[in-house]
Formats: sequence, structure tokens, C-alpha cells
Amino acid sequence: MTADKEKRRAISREAARRRRRVESDVFGDLCRLLPLQPSVQAHLDKPSVIRLTLSYMRTHTLLKGKMEPKAEASHAVKHGEVTEGGEGRQECDGGCEEEERDTEDVEASEETNMYLRILEGFLMVLSTEGDMIFLSDNVSKYMGLTQTELMGHNIFEFTHPCDHDEIRNNLRLTAEEVWCGAKRDFVMRIKSALTHRGRSANLKSATWKVLHCQGRAKVCVAPSSVSCLVLTCQPLPLSHTLLSTHTFTSQHSMDMKFTYCDQRVTPLLGYSPEELLGRSIYSLCHTLDTNCLTKNHLNLCFKSQSVSGQYRMLVRGGGYVWVESHSAVIPSVRPSKSRPGAHQPLCILSVTYVLSGVEQPSLQLSLDQTVHRHSR
Amino acid sequence: MSARNAAAGGGDRAGGERAEDVLVEENQCSSMSLTSLMTPSSAAGMSLNMEIPRKRKGSMDSQDRKTASTPDADMEDDQNGSDEDDQHVKIKCFREPHSQIEKRRRDKMNNLIDKLSAMIPTCNPMSRKLDKLTVLRMAVQHLKSLKGSGSSFSEANYKPSFLPDEELKHVVLKAADGFLFVVGCDRGKMVFVSESVTKILNYSRAELIGQSLFDYIHPKDMGKVKEQLSASELYPRERLIDAKTGLQVQADLPVGAARLCSGARRSFFCRMKYNKISVKVEEKEFQASTSKKKESQKYCTVHCTGYMRSWPTSQLGAVGEGESDKQDSSHFSCLVAVGRVHSHSSPQVNGEVRVKPTEFITRYAMDGKFTFVDQRATTILGYLPQELLGTSCYEYFHQDDLPQLADRHRKVLRSKEKIETNCYKFKTKHGSFVTLQSQWFSFVNPWTKEVEYIVSTNTVISHDHCRTSRSGNKSEQSSNSKTSEEDGKKSLPVIPGISTTPGSMIYAGSIGTQIANELLDFNRMNSSPSSGSVSPFSLPQDKCQQTHSQISNNVPNGEAADMEMPGKSSSEEEPQGATFSGGESLMGENSQLDLDSVVGPGLSNLSNDEAAMAVIMSLLETDTNLGEDVGFDEMHWSL
Repeated sequence: MTADKEKRRAISREAARRRRRVESDVFGDLCRLLPLQPSVQAHLDKPSVIRLTLSYMRTHTLLKGKMEPKAEASHAVKHGEVTEGGEGRQECDGGCEEEERDTEDVEASEETNMYLRILEGFLMVLSTEGDMIFLSDNVSKYMGLTQTELMGHNIFEFTHPCDHDEIRNNLRLTAEEVWCGAKRDFVMRIKSALTHRGRSANLKSATWKVLHCQGRAKVCVAPSSVSCLVLTCQPLPLSHTLLSTHTFTSQHSMDMKFTYCDQRVTPLLGYSPEELLGRSIYSLCHTLDTNCLTKNHLNLCFKSQSVSGQYRMLVRGGGYVWVESHSAVIPSVRPSKSRPGAHQPLCILSVTYVLSGVEQPSLQLSLDQTVHRHSR
Repeated sequence: MSARNAAAGGGDRAGGERAEDVLVEENQCSSMSLTSLMTPSSAAGMSLNMEIPRKRKGSMDSQDRKTASTPDADMEDDQNGSDEDDQHVKIKCFREPHSQIEKRRRDKMNNLIDKLSAMIPTCNPMSRKLDKLTVLRMAVQHLKSLKGSGSSFSEANYKPSFLPDEELKHVVLKAADGFLFVVGCDRGKMVFVSESVTKILNYSRAELIGQSLFDYIHPKDMGKVKEQLSASELYPRERLIDAKTGLQVQADLPVGAARLCSGARRSFFCRMKYNKISVKVEEKEFQASTSKKKESQKYCTVHCTGYMRSWPTSQLGAVGEGESDKQDSSHFSCLVAVGRVHSHSSPQVNGEVRVKPTEFITRYAMDGKFTFVDQRATTILGYLPQELLGTSCYEYFHQDDLPQLADRHRKVLRSKEKIETNCYKFKTKHGSFVTLQSQWFSFVNPWTKEVEYIVSTNTVISHDHCRTSRSGNKSEQSSNSKTSEEDGKKSLPVIPGISTTPGSMIYAGSIGTQIANELLDFNRMNSSPSSGSVSPFSLPQDKCQQTHSQISNNVPNGEAADMEMPGKSSSEEEPQGATFSGGESLMGENSQLDLDSVVGPGLSNLSNDEAAMAVIMSLLETDTNLGEDVGFDEMHWSL
């Protein structure tokens, strides 16, 4: 009786092994077809292979069908333009097809890298369910996780739960919005497995990074009619490089009242820094921009960093300018771990770019402007 | 392993019988898995026959592993696993029965296989469900076919990527809503512009390439842009803000003799011309379009970010010829940047697009004095903004309307909602009255929760529309006095006493002040002990109950903060986050954004201040690498 059982078990074990081997072989085939470095391929587990295959297929169906690459390249060749790479186009008269294509590839690759570097961010394509269909490979520089580790996963696994509702709202797309390429612009917190020195750490010790995501909706091609969002994601920096004109910095308490403003505000807005101390930014701005400022303020309260978008600041004595502020919450005093419960005063640091000249300088919109009417 | 299976099978077996009962256990596993697979959560329409091979494989695996592991270890795990029903599934701990882990893995794999079969065209039409191996094989075929159609993956030096770079470039530009341009630093000559500029500025590439950038920039921004392109040594030093201290620090740039160091970042906004006329492709028409350009001076704000780059001119082709005034004959300095148009309304499109022409906006201080008047009010009311600013709105309201408006005023100061007024008459400069209807809401500072001002959106109503609501107004008056008595608030003594004499106008102005004072008194009476100093996240005063409960939930300082801080920043598992229900309102028109709903279960156990602190600290602790390594070869802003 037992021997019989043994035999049956052995047979089923063999059968199972064979099945597994066959399956592994197929997985291997699939893996090799993926556009990955061999070293990466070797370490993929089965679910990842499928996940990446899905991404690959989705990327192709969603994003193909754009302008013919060769057409643009040949146009450029004809006009003798110089691209950024400095590798001037050879005078290719169509005979050297293969070479041309290689050069194009290299240049396209350089160009793309350059875009991403300039934009200081990575590209993310999101399905309406939040699946990260595609990520540019420089995502590892910002999140510490590689493209292969992330592609195909869902964004909600990597973002701060408090931001999920906002993300969901942004992912919601009506057919009309998709068709006309509706824009999206929001800030969210994402996990980053980068250590302070820029090395990749384990996801378990991930910290939150604030990302500014901007992009558009995109309609896709068959087979499955899914629409997606194409976004560039830039981490908001905490240090700013300032240049001399048309920007000024300011510090605010958490309620957005000025606590400090640098001298450059005077030629731009007319106020002296002292005049601004204690004033709320909400009273200095055009009423129609209240929403914009509120959103900015809330982003700061919850996510600690924000980009305001364009709004109007009233100029002393009349008129207004369009500005955009990049802000972050910073501790006024270095937090000390030994006294975690002690109140650490926080403040908001803002860099404000002035975008326009003074518009309608004689128009006085606020009470404050009438007071300073003659003292400009 | 089998011991675990045994445990999962529902027995509390001590372990021991392994070898003999393997088959039995397997069957138990099978049956258990089958039932779970029949649930709706697994893919529907699965045929039983298909499942058994998969499952058995799974359990075979576990059995194989069992033979490798030592009996003792199994025993131990079994005892731990059998009575654990921890629902913290994010952390896979050994306390969980192994079959649960296996099951989850199988489900995940099945899920993936289903998704895969949905994506493969040949799989789709199949009516019955395909098994895993077939799906995989078809995926292989599909990938091969995808690769075959034009993508060049076969090059040895080709860097494999999921998306060919050409297409990626298009995607990036589409997402960024931008165009790439390369501008020479000396004269601002545009040596390269990407095709996407057409969509953005509505100029063709041919029109722009070779032209000076300054021809396309708003005159007032030229100085700004010149400075950005400046290559001279006297270039103002870049100043950095150190986020640690909030102070500005000077950075010593290694500026070369005659050229900028490559990689220096530039970021600026400028207004660029936007061509209203349809793009003329042929170059000979360019002259005509130049003159037309002068008429259509539309500008849009472009955010340009990029970096400086210099190339040896020997590498450059046609461009180098025209440049005669290069300081350094062997290098061509330029700015390589991406110009992005903002998704927000551009300056010249007044941002008031949605607002109808018979509408204007005003701001009141809490006591009803005008602090902001939109310029459109002038055409409607006749007053210039400065004539209204500082005066009380009550001076302009018709007497009949004073009660209802006073009532609304009171309401709006206590409510987060938008309050609609009925139609009322507003005295214009020339003495006549215009009928308005307004929507008021009190704007509350998101941090302090104090009312900063009242925003009023005022619409002109034609007389006809207003009839019905005016009758409603009369009944309002009677109910007004009732409600004010019911509330026990100080009823407005002025209303009954208002007479039609001119002197009453001055009296009217004090209505607003009175209402504002009422609110202040009310707040003072109900102020909770914790609001002695303005603390963040403090609840609005009229929600007294919640305030009290918050106080009672105060946890001693040190503990709470400790508990929250490491938890939030370090662990992978979601912290007890609160739902950010403000998301919707941010997108929409709603003006009041409520922090209360955000302070969720986890945070509300702390006092308000600690909660705020914890959230922010966790975010800030991440970034201590601030401004230290300004590596210009890294070409990105220091983080």
C-alpha cells in the first residue's frame, strides 16, 4: 500500500518538476525579449517578468503612433541645423540609411536625456487606475528605485495615504478631458529610497519626497481603450539658486504672515521689507487668486513644499504684478531629537518670481493701496 | 512544511505525522484553495480542471521545501502559525500560516496572468479561459511581433529601453508642454528649436531658427533674459538659500575667464510672443508675417529652465559662421533650455474668464468695510474702487435690505459655507439703486482658522428676476427677528429703529461693526483653554464640542511625538493617515478647506500641536542634504 503511494507521489513530483521546468523556460524566453540589460534580466522574479511585459505592451500600444521619427530627422538634416550634441549632422544624402538611423538613435537618446535632465525630473505615465505604466529610467535618481522595480506597480503603493484622494481626483478623466488633453498640475508625496547621500536604501526605510507633477491626459490606441496621464514629476528642491533680478525671498509664519522679506521686494513691489512684516499674504493679493493661495498654503501645511502657480500681488499704491512662489516649510531652529515634544517653531520660506511688469499701476483695488497713494 | 499545512488545514496538530499524511494534507490544501478560488475575488469563470495543476504545483513546491527544512524548525513555526490571525498583512511575518502566503502569491500570479491575457490580441477573442502556460507562450509570440515592427533592438550598442527615445522625447515634450531651444549667449541667436514650439507659440520652427531670441521676448523682460545669458565675468554671483537656516549664502562659482562654466543652471520666467496668426510654412512669407506680428502682440509666460553649455566651435556646422564676436574663438556658449508654458491662465488672459461681465468681486473686513474692490465695480456702481475702500457696505445697502443682509453677515462669519443673499439694492454713485445678488463666504486662514476677510461675488440682477425673491425677503424680515431671539444673540437694536432720514446712513455703518464685535465676544466666551496662543490645527470656535474632546485627548508631550515621528518617516507600512478630503475642494470652487477632516484617527490622539509637528517633522527629516553638494556637473539644483 505504502509502496504504491510512494510510486504515485514520485510520479506526480516528476510531473510537477517537468511542468515547472517548462514554465521556467517560457518565463526565460519572455524575459529575454524584454528591453533590459542581461544583468537585470537574470534577477527578475516571475511576477516581475509579467509585470514588465505588461508595461512593455501597454507602453507600446499607448504611446506609439506618433510622428515618424525619420521624417523629422531628415528634415533637420536638410536644413543643416546643429543639435545640442554638437555632433553636426553629416551630409547624408540618403545613401547611408543605416548610419543615419544610428546617428538618429544616438541623438534622440541624447536629446531625451537632456530633456529629462533639464526638467530635473522623470516621466511617468499613469493609467486611470493608478498603474505606473511607464517610467523613464532616470526615476532611480529621484526615488532610489529602478525603472524595473517600479514599472507596472500601482502609484498608490508608493505615495502618502493622505494624498491618495487628491491623486484619485487627478486621475479621474472624462472622455472629453482625455480628448482635448486636459492638463494636470498637483503636488504629492512619494516614497524615496534614497539616503541623504544619494545612495539607494531599502524601501522599508523610505522617506517621503515631495513631487510636483505636471502633464496632460492622453488618449490611447486599441486594443483596450484606456486613457492615461502623462506627467513629468519633479522633486521640489529645498535650496534655491537665486539670481539677482525679479525674484525675492521672504519668510512667513505658518499663517502666511510675513516675518522677513529681502530688500529686492522694494523695486519690484514698492513695499519696504518693514512694511510687510506682520501682514498676511492674503491681504496683499488679488481676491480672485484666493483659491490659488489657499491651495498653496494647504500644500505647505501637509506636504511641506509647494509651487503656487501664477497669482497677482498688489503693488504699493496701485496696480499688481503676476508672480509665482516656490515655498517650503522649514524649522526655524534645528529640531533636537532629545526634546521631541518641545515646540519647534516652523516657518515658511518662499522664493517669489515676478513674472510680469506692473499692470494697471493707477488702479487701486485694495484699501491698503489707497493709504499709500501719494507715497510711492 | 507539512506541519504548516496541517495547521492551515484547520487542525491544531502537534506536528509529527508528515510523511504518511502528505497526500491527505495536499488534498486538504487543494480543497481549501479550491473553495477560495471559487470566491468572486479570484478571477471569474475559472474552470476547475485548470486550477488543480496549478495548485498542486504550489503545494508540491512547499512539500519539496519541507524535505529540505529541519523538522524542528517546522515544529516551531507550526506552533506559532496556528493560532495567529494577525491582519497586518503588509508585514509578512512567519506568524502567518504559510498557505496564506502561498495563496496570496498564487492569486497575485493569477491576476497578472489575467491582465496579460487581456493585453494580448490573440488571447482576447478566446471564450474560455486559457491556462497559464498558454498565455505565457502567447505573450512571447506577441512580444516578438512587437519587436519585429520597426523597433531596432538588435544593435549591439543600443541601450535597451521600454520606449524608443524618439517617442520618449515626444512624450516628454507633450507632458511638459514645452519646447527645447538652444540660444547662443552672445547675441541670443536661436540655433535650435524643437518642433513642439509650433504648438506652443504658434510659430514654425523655420521662422524661429536663426532669429534672435530677443525679438520674441517682451521688451520689459529683455534685461532679465540678457542677464541670464550673460557670459561675462562680472556675472552676479549666485545666491543660494540654505533651507536649514533660511539665510542666503554666497556661492563661489568657478567662473572661467571668458565663458560660463558648463552646467550652470538657469531658471527664469519670461514673456514670449505668441503668434495669433496661423503659421506660414514657406519662408518667403516670413516678411509678411513679421509686419503682421506687430499687430498681434500677445504674450504668454514661459518658464525656461536649463543649463549653460559650451562647445568647441570646430564641431559645429553652419552656425559658427555668422558668429564674429565670440570672445573665445574656440568655444560657443549657449543656453540649452526647455520652455514650458504654464497650465494656469497666462497673464494676458485675465484669469477672470469664467466670470461674467456683470459680476464683480469685493472683499470686506469682518465689520463690513470694503478692503478690496475689483475694477469692474466701477462700470456697475459708478464708484472708483478708492471711493468705496474703507467705507462700510451698509452705507450703500437699501434700508429695506439691511435686516436680511445683516443676518447674512452674521451667518457668514460663523459658517464655512458660501452664503447667498437675496436680491438687494445697492446705491450707485449717482443716487440710483442697482439690484445685486451676492454670494458671500468668509475666507479663513487655513492655518489659524481665523477669518481673514469676507469675499463677495456680486452679480447684477435685472429687476424682473428679483420680484419673487423680494417677497421672500419680506417674510425673511419677520423670521429674522424670531431667529435672532431664539439664538439668544443680541438682537440688532438698529433694525426697528431705522428711519428713512439721511442720518440713518451713518448709523447703518455701525451695523457691520456691531456684528463683527458680536463675533469677537462670542469667540471670547467660548474660547477653550488651549487656544491661548494660536496653535495650528486648532478647531474653529463654534465647534465647541470637538474642541473639548481634543483637549481631553491630550497625550503627554514627549511620548506622542516620539511615537509618531519614527513611525511616519521610516516604515513602509502606511501610517495612520487621515484622508485628505480636501482634495476635491481644492480642485473645485469651494473656498473653505477643512483641516478638521484631515486630522484622522491616528493624529487626533495627539494634541493639535503635536499632530502638526509630527506630520511636518517627518517630512523635513528626510532632507538634510541641503545645499551642501552643489555639484555643477550634476546639473540639477541641490537638494
